Formats: sequence, structure tokens, C-alpha cells
Amino acid sequence: MIWWVMIFCGVVTFFTRFVMFSDMAPKKLPDWSEDVLSFVPVAVLTAIIVPSVLIGADNAVEITDNAHLPAAILAVLVAWLTRSVLATIGSGLAALWCLNWLIF
Amino acid sequence: MSPTPSHPSRQQEFWSGVRQELPLQLGVAPFGLVFGVLGLAAGLTPLQTILMSSIVFGGASQVVLVQLWGSVPGPVVGASVSMINLRHALYSASVAPYLRALPLRWRLPLAYLLTDEAYAVTINRLRNETPGPFQHYHLLGTGTLLWVCWQITTITGVVFGATIPPEWSLEFAIPLTFIAVVVPILKRRADFIACGTAAVISVIGQPLPWNSWIILAGMGGIMAGWLSLRIMAGRGDA
Repeated sequence: MIWWVMIFCGVVTFFTRFVMFSDMAPKKLPDWSEDVLSFVPVAVLTAIIVPSVLIGADNAVEITDNAHLPAAILAVLVAWLTRSVLATIGSGLAALWCLNWLIF
Repeated sequence: MSPTPSHPSRQQEFWSGVRQELPLQLGVAPFGLVFGVLGLAAGLTPLQTILMSSIVFGGASQVVLVQLWGSVPGPVVGASVSMINLRHALYSASVAPYLRALPLRWRLPLAYLLTDEAYAVTINRLRNETPGPFQHYHLLGTGTLLWVCWQITTITGVVFGATIPPEWSLEFAIPLTFIAVVVPILKRRADFIACGTAAVISVIGQPLPWNSWIILAGMGGIMAGWLSLRIMAGRGDA
């Protein structure tokens, strides 16, 4: 059973990535599509980031007692100031480890 | 001497993709390790866990698959993973104008390699740098590096996972990777509106079935961003 679920998920994943590359996709997208698609990275990645920072194990929003939140805010500031991927990931992880060790 | 057109060669495009993708592996590598651990914890065999990383090749979908596996029926697992994956159709649409002219033998592997992190790096090159005849090699570079790193770290997680202390919170590396990608591309006021809208929907949409919040938040953010762009353009202050 797990193999079937895995293969199904693999096929679905591949086809969602391929769908607009295929010959069935419209050859020319309308003019407004460029503006619309320019929001794809920001909107979709934000939708992944925010719940993984705010939502706890019991599917509830955790604002207090959540070391991920201040660590993520610090990472946003570092990303804003340095524009460096390494500095952002490094500072966020370091902040989480310090907070967990000190307080939580 | 006649001027020669100066566009990056195949090798230059490929290696610049690899180079630009490299820093993101600081986030991808821990995620791969975590997936290796989660797979075994969910009752999959080492072989199943390792092969899932090349059959599905999608970090978030693989984690959801193993987390749901065993607790909900197979078709619900499939629906959930498909919902999480719908965002790739948006990536596909956004990259397609640059790749559609390529032969199928290129479009098939490039589609397979179109992950969050490879897309995020390559779309930047496609949009903001001079178009070149070999620009698809850039996606080949970002995608291949990510694929290799994902396979190696999955295997490492399966083999050594039991020795990684959970208090290292390695799974936190993945939102950090995306923060590092999103923050620098927030430029227009409409980008901030798209970001805020997606954030709010992704939280209030949590109770919805099959993880549909992820695609609703994505679509909501895109619509809010586009509408505000239109409104501001109409007022002349975009």
C-alpha cells in the first residue's frame, strides 16, 4: 500500500510541475499573467513559512512559549539587512538554540 | 573584428546555478536529515524512505506523507499531498514562458527538478538577468545540486538519524531557508500586501481539510498582491 501511495504522490508531484511545460498548455499567456505570477514566490513561500513558525504540535497558534517566533523574527531582520542566505539560516538556528537553552 | 554576442555558455549557466543554489543547502541538508528520521519513525523501511526522496522529490510533500501515513486512509494521504503540491503548478506557469520552446527531453527532467528552492533561485536569474540561449542550464544546475544534496542527506538521516538529538530542532532550517528567499524579494508595496494576506490565510485556514490552506493562502496572497498592484497603478502611485 505504501508503495502505491508513494508512486501516486510521485506522479502527481511530477505532473503539477510539468503541467505548464506541456504541449497542452496555452502557447501564449495573457498579458496580465506576468503581473499575477510575479507574486507566486512571495505568496506561496510565506504560506509555508508562517504556519511552520506559529503552529504548534497540537495544531494551535502559539505566540508565547514559542522560541521559533523570536528566532524567526531575528532571521527576518538579518535577511533584510544582509540579504545573505547563510547569515539568515545561521542566525535563526543559533537564536533558537540559545533561546531553548536559556529559557524554554 | 566583428563583435561576438556575449551570452553565458552552457557551463557558465550551469555552474552559476550550482553556485547560487549552494548556500540554500544549509537549509536543505538538515531538512533531508529530518526526513530520513521521520520516515523510519513512521514505520517505513530504510529502502522506502530513501526511494521516496527520488520518487516524490518534494520536501514538504514527503514530510506530510510520512506524518499522515498510518493515521489516515491512503486516499486522504494522496489528496493531502496533492493539495500541498498544487503550488508547483504556479511555479511551472511562472517558468514556462522561458522554457516552453525546449524539446521534450529537456522539459521532462527540468519539470522533475522544479522544487521550491531551485525555482526560487532560477526564477531570479530568468527574470532579472539578460536572457541567454542556454538559460535552461541554470535550472539544470540549481535542480541537480538540490537533488544530489537531498538524496545524500536523506540517506544520512536514515543511517545516522537515531543519533541526532531532537533539541537541535533541525526542522526549523526549512522555514529559515524560505525566509532567506522571500525577504530580499519583497520590493513593491504590493509584495508586502501579498505576503501579509498569505500569512493571515495560512494561519486561519489551518482547520481546513487536506491541508488545503496552503493553496488557498498562496492563491489569496497572489490575488491580493495583484489587485493592490492594479489599484495603485490606477491611482498612479505603484
